[in-house]
Amino acid sequence: MKLKQWMNLVLVGCSVLALSACSSSHKPKNNQYAVNDANAAYGARASGLGGDSEFGDQAGGKVLAKRVYYFDFDSNVIHEDDKPAIHANGSYLASHGASQVLLEGHTDPRGSREYNVGLGERRAKSVAQALTTKGSTPTQIRVVSYGAEKLAAAGHNENDYQLDRRVVLVYTKR
Amino acid sequence: MRKIIYSIICLLALLPYTAFAILSLELNRGMSGAIPIAIVPFGMNGDTPPQNVSNIITNDLQNSGCFKVYGQSALSQFPTELTMVSSDYFHRLGTDNIVIGKVQAVEGGRYQVSFQLLDVSNSQSKANVDLNKSYTVSGAELRSVAHHISDLVYEQLTGIKGIFSTKLAYVVVQNGRDGKRYILEVSDQDGFNPRPLLNSPEPIMSPSWSPNGKQIAYVSFENRQAEIYLQEVATGYRHLLSKFPGINGAPAWSPDGGKLALVLSKNGSPNIYIMNIYSRELTQLTNDFYINTEPAWSPNGRNLLFTSNRSGGPQIYELNLNTRAINRLSYDGDYNARASYTKDGKHVAMIHRVNGIFHIAVLDLDAGTTKVLTSSGDSASPSVAPNGSMILYDTVDGGKNILGMVSADGRIQLRMPARNGEAQDPAWSPFLS
Repeated sequence: MKLKQWMNLVLVGCSVLALSACSSSHKPKNNQYAVNDANAAYGARASGLGGDSEFGDQAGGKVLAKRVYYFDFDSNVIHEDDKPAIHANGSYLASHGASQVLLEGHTDPRGSREYNVGLGERRAKSVAQALTTKGSTPTQIRVVSYGAEKLAAAGHNENDYQLDRRVVLVYTKR
Repeated sequence: MRKIIYSIICLLALLPYTAFAILSLELNRGMSGAIPIAIVPFGMNGDTPPQNVSNIITNDLQNSGCFKVYGQSALSQFPTELTMVSSDYFHRLGTDNIVIGKVQAVEGGRYQVSFQLLDVSNSQSKANVDLNKSYTVSGAELRSVAHHISDLVYEQLTGIKGIFSTKLAYVVVQNGRDGKRYILEVSDQDGFNPRPLLNSPEPIMSPSWSPNGKQIAYVSFENRQAEIYLQEVATGYRHLLSKFPGINGAPAWSPDGGKLALVLSKNGSPNIYIMNIYSRELTQLTNDFYINTEPAWSPNGRNLLFTSNRSGGPQIYELNLNTRAINRLSYDGDYNARASYTKDGKHVAMIHRVNGIFHIAVLDLDAGTTKVLTSSGDSASPSVAPNGSMILYDTVDGGKNILGMVSADGRIQLRMPARNGEAQDPAWSPFLS
């Protein structure tokens, strides 16, 4: 996917260079109309590039790549700003029936370890539920809860606790 | 590949003493009104034995918090036989209880360890001999026999069975070059002789001793999912007990050793089940969509405690195995979890949150009152000693997880930091042998 994007850029870049080369050699330098034409041509390409499906994918790629979702204390409610990423992955799974993901649920280290395993599972299952609303099937999704046993941050303070309360989406089969 | 990893893990399980976390036991606060006792350095013949038996007894009794021990540094007379004991001297020192003894090398590289517990409280300045025993052991058994003597002295003077010969299981977490290592370890009650049972790159949780002390059940994530194993302590041999989809957690042996209570979420959310260890037959006990976890058996095997958030936050409930009736037990505070009965079945040790900090507390079932025992950082995983006198737990100290011990009345406190890594999720063994 990435190679295709680069190739497009190179091709477009070359076309732009070719265009500007043409305009300078065939028209008098002080011909404003010629310059405007060249600019307009460049501008048309530029706006064409913006709407081009490949670049739509690049923005889509960023959303797909966001795979760690954070949660509030004692909560398994998905944050609003994580929904686009979760839905994008759900759609990807829906359109790639052979792909599989693992959802890891985690908590911060406070309180009882086994109860935290239960909390972590609830968080991962919330994300699993959100994936299936976009058409992925339950058999594509596996859930594991590590509770507080795999902390993201080593400290015992509110900043580190925030980083611990998360669900991580891992593609086990792309 | 899995087979290779499995055999490596088993091989590691059989390794003898390694440099893994050696817990050091530090007494923070002892009991006021502790029983004074003099432990006179035992007499020796010939070469110094590999262990100093009277030192071990001194440390055992001192760390119990119940005794004020006069050891080598406090004494200026060192009798090794009854005839050498001056009652006056010990009266002036401040103690009526005296332990004297000898460690003598005998043939075959073994040692004869003999001791006497004396009582010089009567005014006739003649010592009463309360205990008089002798053992012949190998050099490797010297620590064990010292702990056994501590048990006898402790029980003679307090009336309570001693726990100096018990063991602790716990999980050590170390930062390695390739990420974290998780090690399930068993050590003596004083932290000595740590032995790894399992060394894994993935988490290990919730060790639980069988009632005869010969096996430990635990949760392992070595296959990137939760699985429950039963492992023999002596041989390291283990087998997989539970590997259902979802959570397999919180294993707890029944008092008769034939069943394991555990938590499975295979039907959608975590519920309590009982599995017959031999037939593998499963019985489901709770059946709802709450988080139900951490089952613990009553000493008579008739009830199970468990944690559930069915009232909003985690609280302690009791399930009658006969009637299946469920009663709520904890009403103090908004977070109570990880409960276990004390030996008399009348108290429950648990995690109890106060003002956002997690403490170890004891709930008196008759009175309905909750007593907070710890005052340090967030604490968890309480495990009651088999004589009910002490509770082992993990806590955060200086940003690291360490183990701690607190007496059931809160007066005696010890900390057990690991010397290499962090220690967590401990379980006290039953009485052994």
